[in-house]
Amino acid sequence: MAINLRTAAVETREQRLGTITAWDEGTAAKLAEQSEYSRGCGAGCGVGNKGSKLCELESPFTQGGSCAEQVVQGQASGILDAVLVQHSPIGCAANQPMNNTNFRNTLARRGMAVRNSLALSTNLTERDMVYGGVEKLQETIREAYRRHNPKAVFIATSCATGIIGDDVETAAREVQEEIGIPVVPVFCEGFKSKHWSTGFDAIQHGVLRQIVKKNPGKKQEDLVNIIILSGTDVYTPMLAELGLRANLVLNLATIEQLEQMSEAAASVSFCYTLASYFTAALEQEFGVPEIKAPQPYGFAGTDAWLRAIARATNREEVTEAYIAREHARVRPIVEELREQLKGLTGYVAMGASFAHGVVVVLRELGIDVPGTLVFHHDPVYDSGAPERDTLGHLVEETGDVENFTVGIRQHYQFYNLLQRVNPDFIVIRHGGLSPLASRLGKPSLQLGDASFPLGYQGIINLGAEILAVLGQKKFHEDLAAHSSLPYRRSWLDEKDPFALARAAVA
Amino acid sequence: MVVALKERGDGLPGAAEQSGPIEQLRYACSMGAMQTAAAIPRVIPITHCGPGCSDKQHNALTAANGYQGGGWGGGGVAPSSNATQREVIFGGTDRLEELIEATLKILDADLFVVVTGCIPDLVGDDVGSVVRGFQSRGAPVVYAETGGFRGNNFTGHEIVARAIIDQFVGAYDGEREPGLVNLWSLLPYQNTFWRGDLGEIKRLLEGIGLRVNLLFGPDSGGIAEWKAIPRAQFNLVLSPWLGLETAAHLQEKYGQPFLHIPLIPVGAKAAGEVLREIAAFAGVSERAEAFIAAEERTYYTYIEAFSEFYSQYRWGLPARFAIAADAAYALALSKFAVRQLGLLPARLIVTDNPPGEYRDAIAAEFRALDHDTEGTVEFLEDSYLIHQQIRSAAFGHKPPLILGSTWERDLAKELKGVLMEIAFPASYEVVLTRSNVGYRGAITLLERIYSTTVSRTA
Repeated sequence: MAINLRTAAVETREQRLGTITAWDEGTAAKLAEQSEYSRGCGAGCGVGNKGSKLCELESPFTQGGSCAEQVVQGQASGILDAVLVQHSPIGCAANQPMNNTNFRNTLARRGMAVRNSLALSTNLTERDMVYGGVEKLQETIREAYRRHNPKAVFIATSCATGIIGDDVETAAREVQEEIGIPVVPVFCEGFKSKHWSTGFDAIQHGVLRQIVKKNPGKKQEDLVNIIILSGTDVYTPMLAELGLRANLVLNLATIEQLEQMSEAAASVSFCYTLASYFTAALEQEFGVPEIKAPQPYGFAGTDAWLRAIARATNREEVTEAYIAREHARVRPIVEELREQLKGLTGYVAMGASFAHGVVVVLRELGIDVPGTLVFHHDPVYDSGAPERDTLGHLVEETGDVENFTVGIRQHYQFYNLLQRVNPDFIVIRHGGLSPLASRLGKPSLQLGDASFPLGYQGIINLGAEILAVLGQKKFHEDLAAHSSLPYRRSWLDEKDPFALARAAVA
Repeated sequence: MVVALKERGDGLPGAAEQSGPIEQLRYACSMGAMQTAAAIPRVIPITHCGPGCSDKQHNALTAANGYQGGGWGGGGVAPSSNATQREVIFGGTDRLEELIEATLKILDADLFVVVTGCIPDLVGDDVGSVVRGFQSRGAPVVYAETGGFRGNNFTGHEIVARAIIDQFVGAYDGEREPGLVNLWSLLPYQNTFWRGDLGEIKRLLEGIGLRVNLLFGPDSGGIAEWKAIPRAQFNLVLSPWLGLETAAHLQEKYGQPFLHIPLIPVGAKAAGEVLREIAAFAGVSERAEAFIAAEERTYYTYIEAFSEFYSQYRWGLPARFAIAADAAYALALSKFAVRQLGLLPARLIVTDNPPGEYRDAIAAEFRALDHDTEGTVEFLEDSYLIHQQIRSAAFGHKPPLILGSTWERDLAKELKGVLMEIAFPASYEVVLTRSNVGYRGAITLLERIYSTTVSRTA
């Protein structure tokens, strides 16, 4: 379905892509097959055909998840010369301390001066719920401008402002005229989408509407937009080998970097959950080609990813040489790691497309991966390109995943899921589930640095990290022998993580 | 759209009506009191709110703040209704009922505490009637309306405490036990050091011959202690304002008296004074004197050893300090710094937005830091303003000592100062049992302040 930049609010993922958050019918191949409708194959036909969709479970028992605003907060407060205004009661801003630790650590990892992230809450109280919060919003935007002299102000809306009906769009436009910098409303009320990744789309929508240059004067033929999350910059050196420059967005980018996205030769990412909206919209609205390839994980994925960039930027020869050099460097080390990791079983639990990539890397290392939990599933990404079918790529390149589950990061279900496969270790992103694995004696490898497993070097990184994490097993086994879980015996004996959901529809 | 708000409960403290923007927040919202419930052993909060509310509050309080861990039933374990468009448009009571029903099937706890977020409080869910349905079946569930716009996690804490007292502890007309005391003091999880501090306070109170309903933390007996609240001889409010509302309610409900001591004692001077006051109130003075004497012997043995460092260190020690913390810690640590270390206050900032009616009394406590030292306290919650105030303070020619949070990291570098993270959020600290109060905590605090000082140039 075409992307619509005319409205201030983004369409949610479930509306655009048919995103689901609960599925447990068996293998990865089965889910890939069921998702084919979204690319115009199989039953129901037609990209974005609202008549077709995946079946989704709904459980009466749920634990805390995350929301679109939380994602917007992380993304917007990571833009270096902008300020985020959170138009909400104070609790929405409670994520600031955690964000700030990510921000400070990523600055350090990227070799930049470490400092606090910038975000102001309008701090709405009971009175504002009755009389509206627009005045406070405008005053907070002005205050953000006076204090920090930013190049842009982003506004994140909240459940409360959505319900009381503040006209944030008009409020933003008025102050924008007054202070002369972009004031970008980002509509991300948590209750509006069942999955937090709509927050990525919401902030990207705002950047595309109000920051990216509409009529770029020049094209920069060696500039490639790379949509990233917080982590080490592995891209600049990699692209330099190809004679290209990396425009890393949004994390730790400047407004100038965002403006020039429309001048780039192509857009690419390591995570299509994250970049789906951005790269498709840049192609549709600004003519910047989206790189249509698998994600850069494992040898085959990374080869294909680099070759697609090479084709789009006319750098095939130098790219082939780089690929050959990297294979020669990395393969012997991977062989050694495979030897050391022989016989191990791993379990992957993280955001959808990232998980698809990490499973590929684990299998490249010879690790058995009989189970995976993804926190949501997009049957298709915005551009609809079949080359970007990350789940299909996983199955085709490395074989099926026997126990493939979509579940929205639920602590109680993670217990039953781990019982199914009994892995030696977990590879995970996001907080919340590792503590449960710990109490079961399983060490977790927390992928905080998003760049860690990608590319050729990523295979080595992940292998070395697994060896380090296995050492912690003693700690976790000792803990398991001395701790209890808050679940009833009947639930601990339950084999089906979705038993309640299935009983509800039976 | 005009929204009809439900009446707020009687007499509950609220945020200042003229609140301004807040940069770099220093507390969570009312619903952060989910961690008040989780701080009671074997109690689990049920959060009725949007999908990200629970995650944000507990991550802030339990992870980015000392990496304390969310507790057995808090953090990612806590059930959440994760309200969607449906609950906003049609109301969320059916969803809440379904969630509680499922929770009782899956989770095994002594008590469940429903806390609400902005969505149910705005759309007007009748949470009380849903929960009363379960209560009438004998299910251990209570509810507290803690919508984020109603206040912060300090005020939410008192709403939760009151909910448990009124809906779970219930009526009592039996005898009171002499020597049994209910402690209402610092805020669990918000205060990074609450576990160790409550443990030390318990040790002191037991030392002078009292028995304590500690109510929160690993040293507490869980709901058995809550059930025993009405049996206590008295309530001890050991904090400048937090807990007063609860104590007043208990006085009204059970005719139980309370003793209010604003100062959480840090160091021997304060500990001796505070313990004597409590002992006199409780009628256990004799035993108290023996305990204080024994504690002081140990305390001053260490202080003597420390004095060799304090009097001889050659490379500069702080002489003036600034503090930005909640009222309880700001007062407790300032008094210690002034009275026991001989430091001078350069800036005193209280960050927890105490209700207006308590502010004069708090300011008076700061004015009387010592017989020869007067302090002027400022009430600020916005870190930008807090940093402006600290930046403009006079620290003399010595390195400033800043007792604050992670938000002061950049400022401390700018001022070439020594930063101790003693307030929320303390994201560069890993804290388990460490304490800063009483006799033992004060010694630990000294170790930390001066380890940080001497390693500054390492």
